[in-house]
Amino acid sequence: MSLMQNMAIRHKLIGITMLTCVASLTLAGAAFIAWEWRSLRAYAARDLSIQAEMVAENCRASVAFEDAEDAKRVLVAMHVEPSILFAGIYTKNGDEFASYYAGHADLSIQPPRIHGDGYSFADGRLTVFKRILLDGEIIGTVSMCSDLAPIHRTLMRTIRITGAVLLFAVLIAYIVSSRLQKVISEPILKLADVAKEVSEEEDYSHRAVKRCNDEVGLLIDAFNKMLEQIQKRDWELVQAKTELETRVRQRTSELSSANSRLEDEIRIRKEIQAKQHQILAKLQIANKDLSDFAYIVSHDLKAPLRGIKTLTEWIIADYADKIDDQGREQMNLLSNRVDRMHNLIEGILQYSRVGRVKEDLAVVDLNEAVAEVVDLIAPPGNISITTDNELPTITCEPTRIRQVFQNLLSNAVKYMDKPQGKISIACVEDDDYWKFSVTDNGPGIEEKYFEKIFQMFQTLSARDEFESTGVGLTVVKKIVEMYGGKIWVQSVPGEGSTFLFIFPKQETEAINAQRQTYTAC
Amino acid sequence: MKQENQRTAFCTIITALVMTITPCLRAETESSQEYKVKAAFLYNFINFVDWPKEKMGEPNEPILLGIIGKDPFANAFEPVKNKQIKNRKVVVKRLKSVAELKKLGPSAEDELARLIDAAKKCHLVFVCSSEQECLKDILSPLKDLPILTVADTKDFLQAGGIVNFVMIDNKVRFEISDAAAKLARLKLRSQLLRLAAKVVK
Repeated sequence: MSLMQNMAIRHKLIGITMLTCVASLTLAGAAFIAWEWRSLRAYAARDLSIQAEMVAENCRASVAFEDAEDAKRVLVAMHVEPSILFAGIYTKNGDEFASYYAGHADLSIQPPRIHGDGYSFADGRLTVFKRILLDGEIIGTVSMCSDLAPIHRTLMRTIRITGAVLLFAVLIAYIVSSRLQKVISEPILKLADVAKEVSEEEDYSHRAVKRCNDEVGLLIDAFNKMLEQIQKRDWELVQAKTELETRVRQRTSELSSANSRLEDEIRIRKEIQAKQHQILAKLQIANKDLSDFAYIVSHDLKAPLRGIKTLTEWIIADYADKIDDQGREQMNLLSNRVDRMHNLIEGILQYSRVGRVKEDLAVVDLNEAVAEVVDLIAPPGNISITTDNELPTITCEPTRIRQVFQNLLSNAVKYMDKPQGKISIACVEDDDYWKFSVTDNGPGIEEKYFEKIFQMFQTLSARDEFESTGVGLTVVKKIVEMYGGKIWVQSVPGEGSTFLFIFPKQETEAINAQRQTYTAC
Repeated sequence: MKQENQRTAFCTIITALVMTITPCLRAETESSQEYKVKAAFLYNFINFVDWPKEKMGEPNEPILLGIIGKDPFANAFEPVKNKQIKNRKVVVKRLKSVAELKKLGPSAEDELARLIDAAKKCHLVFVCSSEQECLKDILSPLKDLPILTVADTKDFLQAGGIVNFVMIDNKVRFEISDAAAKLARLKLRSQLLRLAAKVVK
């Protein structure tokens, strides 16, 4: 069967027809031959039995009256039938009574001498036995032996004829099936051709022609329908593709224009950035110059100021009795103004020192640091400074962090207007920073000043009212920002204010880098 | 081959024995052997002869075989004594010798007539060779009756008998007179006629 798998459908159909034909004819032929064989043998046996019967009948008297000559005459008549090889009559005792041989007396042919009625096939011979009855009594036996060669010849002839008929039938079957197979194979082959054309040319407009209403017809219908659908899909696909291409082109052009715009923008930005860099560089130089200038100026200004102060004190001391009260008051005023100037200069120095002078980083326990600062400030008895919760231990410059707390706390103490002053320090820890707060119940600050208070030399009250340089918060802001932090204020005027600042949690190296950058700016 | 040789040797010995013994027996039983055959033939004749229906009578009636004269058969009928032919018993009736009765003269005429009557009842009558002289006396009353007359006497057929045994080549054969049979309204089967050594029309 697997042999047939790859054969052309035409050959398959012919093959199937031929196989069926040959198989059935062979079977029929074999059955016919077998039947013929059986019939021939049966006929032969019957014929010979009849002859034996006749001999028995004829020789009854001969046997009864022991006339062997007569019996012999009867038997000799058998020579007309050449296939009879032997005929013999035996007495009831088994003695040979009379015999006949077609050729020479071949004793080997002789069958058993006493036998019942019947026949047997053996050694290519048919042997028949017939009892001779006289009035119901067995008086002898006739046995006859015939050659089966004629039967074999007849059978061979039948086989040859059957074979010839079979060959002829196969030939006819081949011719008929070769013609008739087209009924089935032609539509399929046509369909296959169409399918091949479709797949090779990718042209889905082909259609197979339907000629019959059988399964192949259905197949052709289905095929055509499929082609129709494919054609439709194909068309839709082409449409979609065209549309897509258009869209892509559109998008591409849009993109390229956007791209060029972006490139322009980038160029402009780069230019701006370059300019910014230039400006920044200039600014850095200017800033450094300013810082240096401020330091040098303030440093250099301090010396004459100290001289003026000393002179003023000397004048007050030496000329106390010579100066009247008005003069003395004016001298004190002078001394005060000199002090204020000194403080201002000191503030400027302090500010310029932040970032300029570097200190080694150290691990600082803020609880201790704050306690020291409070001790240093020595607040009056009506003002209490408390720590709401445990403060953390951080890595920073010890002096700077002290300065932050000192400036904030001293400001709170300085501007306290309530009989019972309360100042509290708190810390909230977040993922990557600490948020510290210094809260007081002082006068508070109006919101419009929230920015202003962090600018240098800005004080909200008159200088005479509170001796203030206006540098403290500026320094605090500078230190906090130097560490990457941020400071702001929340306040309700009359009730108090809270200064909050964020101090990022950072490793030593990060802090150093931060400071470096900041200093560079 | 060896077996065959042995068999051949055995057969030779047996044959030699038979050859030496039989001549002694033969002398004594010769006539008996011949008459055994004749007895068997007589029985066989019944099979090949058809009697008219009225002669056969009832189906259970036996077939009568009369033997007239000096019986030469002795015990030759012994082997066939109980044999049934045509579904009938065969009864052998031994009748006196007509020749001897005739010698007795007129005094035996009654007995002779009774003998002939008895013979007339038979289906088959065997006339012994002792009756050769008076065949006419026996046959003339029987010739137009359906009785198969058999003898082994010369000139039996000329005397009007139907079947006569003869010895040919030391074998028992028989002659038939078809005319006598026709006169007796007996139908002799063709096979029987075929076997006859001579048929007298």
